[in-house]
Amino acid sequence: MKTIILGIGNPILGDDGIGIHIVRKIKEMQDLHENITIDEAQTGGMNLLDLMRGYEKAILVDAVCLHDASHGAIKRFSIHDLPTIHSCNPHDVSLIEALDLGKKMDDTSIPDDIVIIGINLQTLPLEFSESLSPHISSIIPKAIEIVLAELNNVHQHVE
Amino acid sequence: MKTITIDPITRLEGHGKINIFLDNSGNVENAYLQIPELRGFERFSEGRRAEDMPQITSRICGVCPVAHHFASTKALDDAFNVEPTDTAKKLRELMYCGYFIYDHILHFYYLGGPDFVVGPDAPSAKRNVLGVIEKAGVEIGKEVIKHRAYGQKITSILGGKATHPVCGLPGGVSKGLNNDEVEHIKEMGDSCIKFAQFSLKLFDDIVLQNKDYVDLITSDPYQLNTYNMGIVDNNNKINFYDGKIRVTDQKAEEFLKFDVKDYANHVVEHVEEWSYMKFPYLKSIGWKGLTDGEKSGIYRVGPLGRLNASEGMATPLADKEYKRMFQTLGGKPVNSTLAYHWARLIELLYATERCIELIKDPKITSDDIRNPVGKPGEGFGVTEAARGTLIHHYKLDKKGLIDKANLIVATTNNAGAITMSVRDAAKGVISNGKVDEGILNKVEMAFRAYDPCFACATHTLPGGMSFQVDIYDTQKQLLNSFKQ
Repeated sequence: MKTIILGIGNPILGDDGIGIHIVRKIKEMQDLHENITIDEAQTGGMNLLDLMRGYEKAILVDAVCLHDASHGAIKRFSIHDLPTIHSCNPHDVSLIEALDLGKKMDDTSIPDDIVIIGINLQTLPLEFSESLSPHISSIIPKAIEIVLAELNNVHQHVE
Repeated sequence: MKTITIDPITRLEGHGKINIFLDNSGNVENAYLQIPELRGFERFSEGRRAEDMPQITSRICGVCPVAHHFASTKALDDAFNVEPTDTAKKLRELMYCGYFIYDHILHFYYLGGPDFVVGPDAPSAKRNVLGVIEKAGVEIGKEVIKHRAYGQKITSILGGKATHPVCGLPGGVSKGLNNDEVEHIKEMGDSCIKFAQFSLKLFDDIVLQNKDYVDLITSDPYQLNTYNMGIVDNNNKINFYDGKIRVTDQKAEEFLKFDVKDYANHVVEHVEEWSYMKFPYLKSIGWKGLTDGEKSGIYRVGPLGRLNASEGMATPLADKEYKRMFQTLGGKPVNSTLAYHWARLIELLYATERCIELIKDPKITSDDIRNPVGKPGEGFGVTEAARGTLIHHYKLDKKGLIDKANLIVATTNNAGAITMSVRDAAKGVISNGKVDEGILNKVEMAFRAYDPCFACATHTLPGGMSFQVDIYDTQKQLLNSFKQ
């Protein structure tokens, strides 16, 4: 299955860039299947959707903000589980809206399966920095494991 | 006293929201807009290689990467004492046209337009691009998607990457254009001109032919009589990429015209204790609080600010539309905040025409795209971001590392104006404590017209609501909560 793993976040805004740090580590791995593409995105809504076009599955790795989960908790969601996914910026539509628009236009290039691996941040970064806090940095190995498991499921499914 | 909070940005709780304070009779006493302000950019930049700044600053904002990229590159041209080649300037400006094409299309059809096409009182579930398509038809939806993508394609052909360009270097650009690319851009640009004309026609049919909308646009709560600012060329026509910064007064007469090097002599930032945001104002007029008129130094930037601060558009079709707008709305300056939408479409048409002018230039395929740099020093760069004037200012040390960096971003330039517009709209539409979704949307419309963008993180953000309004009584007990 043609899959894209997208790390999302702002790489110069501390822990906000956790998704990007995770996918950069995955990219360094040698034994990834050729059907798997890894990319980074600092964007939401329409632009994010553009990056996913042409893939059957998309795995988005991103910082999230949940009130009922601990700092650094890793959560898996299907896109259908979420009430709303919006760009924090007012100059964009939400990913859900972008997807609905695609469906309305009979766009067949949008992945059927969109999964989000979210790393929960309770402290929201407001200061420019390229580095992660020690606690958020320490969850990277576990997050990689979860993303790879997501990929393996795909391969099992294909087999 | 009741407090209403409009919080469109749950991700940055406590920072990006509109707070409306009601008096005991339920009328608006005051309203404040709070915008997130990220900290520590100067410290973050210190000691970095100056040539990395166009890439770094394009990361500040997920929306205006192209504007930051070139404001930064232009500051580096200046800091390294190098004039870019003629072709390099044209390539940069051409890329800038692509950016305006996709940015302005996105705003009109996806963000601002739904208020007019679907209606300001329509339920939020309908007041979006899907509602627009439902009303205008699927075929038009396809055209919208296609032309927004064309704008991005033009940008990515020139910039190397779709969203975060890597082409700007002090003295020029890293990549030229070949003949195939020229043909491709020409084709897309021609189609974009027609689409921009269609969009203006749509605005005519749907907005200007509807008396209720015209009344709304010209109604008191949406008027602001400030100074206006924008970059102009030698003929005082709008230019997005380069020129002098021009400020016009309440009679649309030139008040200031200066080179970006002198910005600190003309623009100062005021700090309010309730906001993280700074409020720039004209130094010679002074800060008189959040008020408009000729005695207050607050000015507006962005599409309407630019049209007011100029004497026309440099391309024929857009210039005709420019004249028509001012004729229709009672002459210059136009003070209606909601006229930002019209101004944006006129700029879209200009960007498409300018794109074709540049791509037809015989020098556009020249490989003379970079001049050698000189010794490092101090540099200033200014561009027009889609949402207003953007200034970068760096001081470099002898090794070419950043010693100091200061940025004044577009939405900051509009901070005073946006805050006043939100306050005035709230005062105009809320009375006797009556608040519903349609009323709050009319407050948000005042804010949305500016197409503000905040330096922020970019996420998929599960969980929260995209828009929340809480009403509290004097004891800070939650009385009601609006969610959409």
